[in-house]
Amino acid sequence: MAESILEIEKMSAGYDQADVVREVSINVNAGEVVALFGPNGAGKTTTLRVISGIIKPSGGQVRYHGQDLTKLSPTKRARAGIAHVPEGRGIFFGLTVAEHIRLGYRGEVIEPEVVYEYFPALRELRDRAAGLLSGGEQQMLAVARNLARRPKLLLIDELSLGLAPVLVERLLPVVRQYALDSQCGVLLVEQHVALAVEIADRCYVLSHGDIVLHDSGAALKADPDLVVASYMGQRALPDEAEATA
Amino acid sequence: MSLNQVLVFLLLGLGSGGLIAGIGMGVVLSYRGAGVINISVGAIAMLAGFCYWALRTGDFGITFAAPWAVTLTLIFAIVLGLFFEGFCVRPLRRASPLAKLVATLGFLLSAQAAVILAFGESARPQPAILPGGTVLLFGGAVQINRFWIFGILLAITLLFAGIFRWTKFGLGTRAAAENEANATLFGLSPNRLSLVNTVAMSLTMGIVGLLAASIQSVDSQTLPLMVVPALAAAMFGSFTSFGITFVAGLLIGMAESLLTYFETFSWFPTSGGPGNPIPGVQELMIFVILVIAMLFRASRIPGRGDIIDRRLPAAPRPKAPMKGAIRWGALAAFAIWALPYGFREGLIYSLIATISLFSLVVITGYVGQLSVVQISLGGVAGFTVSHLFTNFGIAFPWAGIIGVIFAIVIGVISGFPALRVRGVGLVVVTLAATDAIQNFGFGNTTWGAGNTGAAVPSPSIFGFNFGSNATFHGLGGGEPSPLFGWFTLLLTIIIGLLICNLRRSGLGQEMLAVRANERAAAATGINVRNVKLIGFAIASGIAGVSGVLLAYSYGSITADSYGTLVALNFIAFGYIIGITTVPGAVQAAVGVPGGLFAFALLDWFGLQGNWLSFVGGFLLVLTLIHRPGGVALDIFYGPPKKPFKERPLGRMIFRPSPVLANGAAGADVTEGTTAGVSS
Repeated sequence: MAESILEIEKMSAGYDQADVVREVSINVNAGEVVALFGPNGAGKTTTLRVISGIIKPSGGQVRYHGQDLTKLSPTKRARAGIAHVPEGRGIFFGLTVAEHIRLGYRGEVIEPEVVYEYFPALRELRDRAAGLLSGGEQQMLAVARNLARRPKLLLIDELSLGLAPVLVERLLPVVRQYALDSQCGVLLVEQHVALAVEIADRCYVLSHGDIVLHDSGAALKADPDLVVASYMGQRALPDEAEATA
Repeated sequence: MSLNQVLVFLLLGLGSGGLIAGIGMGVVLSYRGAGVINISVGAIAMLAGFCYWALRTGDFGITFAAPWAVTLTLIFAIVLGLFFEGFCVRPLRRASPLAKLVATLGFLLSAQAAVILAFGESARPQPAILPGGTVLLFGGAVQINRFWIFGILLAITLLFAGIFRWTKFGLGTRAAAENEANATLFGLSPNRLSLVNTVAMSLTMGIVGLLAASIQSVDSQTLPLMVVPALAAAMFGSFTSFGITFVAGLLIGMAESLLTYFETFSWFPTSGGPGNPIPGVQELMIFVILVIAMLFRASRIPGRGDIIDRRLPAAPRPKAPMKGAIRWGALAAFAIWALPYGFREGLIYSLIATISLFSLVVITGYVGQLSVVQISLGGVAGFTVSHLFTNFGIAFPWAGIIGVIFAIVIGVISGFPALRVRGVGLVVVTLAATDAIQNFGFGNTTWGAGNTGAAVPSPSIFGFNFGSNATFHGLGGGEPSPLFGWFTLLLTIIIGLLICNLRRSGLGQEMLAVRANERAAAATGINVRNVKLIGFAIASGIAGVSGVLLAYSYGSITADSYGTLVALNFIAFGYIIGITTVPGAVQAAVGVPGGLFAFALLDWFGLQGNWLSFVGGFLLVLTLIHRPGGVALDIFYGPPKKPFKERPLGRMIFRPSPVLANGAAGADVTEGTTAGVSS
């Protein structure tokens, strides 16, 4: 079995003393793409924020390469190889594409070639400010910049937000390919379930702060009703099952 | 006027222009690196200047040779930078931009007071460090040091511009400035970046302080107030461009120098007879330049996407105002009669200051606009009273009423920029306006006080004098008369009750809605423009009343009675105690320099008012850190049960960056969405 990169064990977290996710356990292995689904307010984004250290969990453990992350600051986690592409893309509108690739902490080695290898379209946009890129280009830049860091764990929040499904269809396989090439673990929060199950090895469904479903990507692809039912908070919907039968 | 002369004066302007540009550089560094509109940069340069002076002249006991003194001064500047970061910047990194600006105001007041306490008010001729001598250019002698200043600051500008463009550190700073949270996710450390930038700012200010030695003597006013033209220069550079800021600063200095040349001509307007050029034209010019810069550049000042708490201090509904008014009013009325004259004078000043602060409660606490110009409006009313009497023989009560109306008119005009400019931008504009009104308006012999002071007649009605020189002296004896004190107290109580009522009225609710969110207020059908202008009218009227009372209480007023420093002190103390409530204003007024508390300190402990400013500045920063709403809010909510805790990152994070590159579409959304104090 592949090396485990991220293990979340019975983690609870939230804002202002109110827990949004409760005793959630998730694990991600090297080279694996794990998708995290769930309706609005389920706690998907909160889970990613706990992993990258922006909020502190109120209980449970987050282990990265077997090491407890509790005491590491967000900056140190990023330097240890956790890359987080937040909602809203997390890029800097005032910096050009090339400047994004030069941007980094002291001593960080960034490989510009990785960016242009996975996203050749960015080569021509090198000197354009990120704020002037289209939504799809910005998302490409956000993913590309994080790939260039050679992360061990890549967290992507809503890659599809504000993008045409056609673009998402193009971006997701790149992520899949990168995970295979570099043995990086990917945790993907996604609303486009149908697109994400195509590339995900495993999927979790989070609803109201609890994991309600955990299965392989292939299984969910074969039975889409499973996800729908879990969104609604039930194991199955009898009349619908009958109707489709 | 010859062309050659003009050119010579332009070259001479390179000196002060270079200093303005240098301080402007500090403003830009502070804003880009730490997200602070820093009005204390000039004060840091002044501290460095005094440090060098003291080291060279042996004021500390040892006289150092120039190279050693320079080295030690720069080390001192670095230490100052570290202190500034640790005390004013780091603890407030999540505070609103306005709170950050007010914190630098605290530093400025403390620094000025410290210098006056240590070295006195007189200017010190500094030992120059630049080579002396002149060159003959365009038929005039120009000091070589002007070119040195220009060259050194140009080199620093190019250095910073290069660093910000090409190094990882510069890119990191720009990224963190745009969105601190995202920068953290990239493994950058915003705290470290902020620290390095603050130290770079402080070091640059150290150099400016050293260079200033060659063209002017050091004192507690010149360099700190040079931040006003420097802010104008930085505004042209949108607080981000080193190059534009440098050029703009230089041009402002040259224009000032040119005005000095023009003053020698007979066609230049005079005041108080020929040979006396009209004062304050330079300050007026800077104000106009700033307004122009605002018009053209304000929408392009990038808002910072850092993780900040945008909540405003609460403005709770007043609790039983009548009870408080009777209880405290009776106590004050008794004290006015019974206290010895010195304490009575302090108490009356505090009452007048209370009315001034009431004006800030309305405009800042309720409407959410921090305007420095309120004290100047008091001055407008005060000088109107004085000149109505000396020029037209109009006396109380008509003079006072006309004075207040005049203050309202000017106040509403001053409110128009606030329809477009908010938050920190408004502070900067009104700060320049205050400086201009003080020098151009109040310093003018024709309609101000000139250098001496303008006489104000005692107020009397039907021949009954109740001014501060009235014959009734009460139990404490001596002037000012308790009659004037009671009159002031009566007005204070009436205005206080009126503002309490305002807070409870429909208009008050609309003001709070505008303060919280202008767009949402407009969406619910509130006419934001009218509410703001009415707010300015009410606040200006109140400020006018306090100005008139101040004029009557002194019997003679000067430009400094309503000066920039008074205004900044009032704002500082207002912020410490609470600028959003009536009890807060009353308590703050007891504390202001010149007030009751200040007199008690002087009488009992022999402590000068500067000690109060010195401590007050630090208290201001501490209040902003620990009780962001001011301590007076404890009356309403009780003391905080837990020590103040920083809001968690996650709640405030991922606010999309408010500005697009190069001011592209969306830039105008910058601050409008979260209007008022928070922006």
